[in-house]
Amino acid sequence: MIVDNYSKKVYNIALNFVGNRDEAADITQDIFLKLYNNIEKFNHEEGNLTSWLLTLSRNYCIDYWRKNKYHRKNLELDDTLAVEAPASIKTPEDKAVNENESAYLRKKLMLLPPDLRTLIIMRDIEDYTYEEISEHLDIPLGTTKSRINRARTRLARILLEEKGR
Amino acid sequence: MDCQKIEELISLYIENELSEELHDEVSAHLEQCEECTLLKEKIEEMLYVFPDLEEDVPFYVKNRIYYIPESQHIEIMPENRFGFLKWIAAAIGTFVLALNLFYFTNVYPPANRVLHSSVADVKSFAVDAGAFIQKVAESKGMYLLSIFKKEKNSDRDPEFDSYKSDKTIPISKEKSEVKKGEQNERKTNNTN
Repeated sequence: MIVDNYSKKVYNIALNFVGNRDEAADITQDIFLKLYNNIEKFNHEEGNLTSWLLTLSRNYCIDYWRKNKYHRKNLELDDTLAVEAPASIKTPEDKAVNENESAYLRKKLMLLPPDLRTLIIMRDIEDYTYEEISEHLDIPLGTTKSRINRARTRLARILLEEKGR
Repeated sequence: MDCQKIEELISLYIENELSEELHDEVSAHLEQCEECTLLKEKIEEMLYVFPDLEEDVPFYVKNRIYYIPESQHIEIMPENRFGFLKWIAAAIGTFVLALNLFYFTNVYPPANRVLHSSVADVKSFAVDAGAFIQKVAESKGMYLLSIFKKEKNSDRDPEFDSYKSDKTIPISKEKSEVKKGEQNERKTNNTN
């Protein structure tokens, strides 16, 4: 039940944070292992568990990123990470363009600082509201909004600079 | 409204969360400023692509989560193996501070006396050791050699050997005779 409800969120946070499927799978497993070992602390309260899991995912990803920062310089991002768009509304050409765009955007997402990257993942990829992010991560609402805006503008500027070259 | 202010409000503008007044102000600025318009369009483009970055969890990842072995149901974070060192350091520090207290003050006179006499002992030992080392160094090792030779010679001293050989035999004889006499006395007592 918990795995079905939360594994997609956790996996996608990890995947978009590290940009590599194998590492995302390892991180997801580690996070659920932590959950199993501490499950009695939550009294099965939905909100509490969600907040705990999201905070844990964010902190674990940031720790993982920092620990492996120097090893990552030699690691190439998984180039096959593009996401398949719904085939019914896309022609093969559109699909290829979309895959390229997704892979490119994910690659550029890695250039953001870890805390800003997490916020973009939660807001724009996982579609949490500002209020939910603020509540789950225990950050004031105004700060959440301004940080997400900062993350978006910074990423947009990176993309514009790349385009300008 | 300047570009920096627009940059702060751009996300809320795109998501239509600004008040009507602010929204109009941002719109008016965007009509004039090409750079801010480019930024806004790029963010909109990003927001359009972002949802496509979400993937379904591969079946093998779910399997790995469902079938985590029992043996792994322990804390992942490894314990700090050398955490005890800080406690040892703290204990040593406290001990040294306590020694200072007794050495430099007269809070507890017996401890003060013991510490001062121990320090004096250590100092005299250091002086002796220094003198010995200096002596050895000046004699280029001959001093040590002479001590060594003396000890060897004393073991082989013929007078000492003869003394030992002379004395041991009679003593052992006397002892054996005394022992025999004692045994005889006991026997006679027992028979009586």
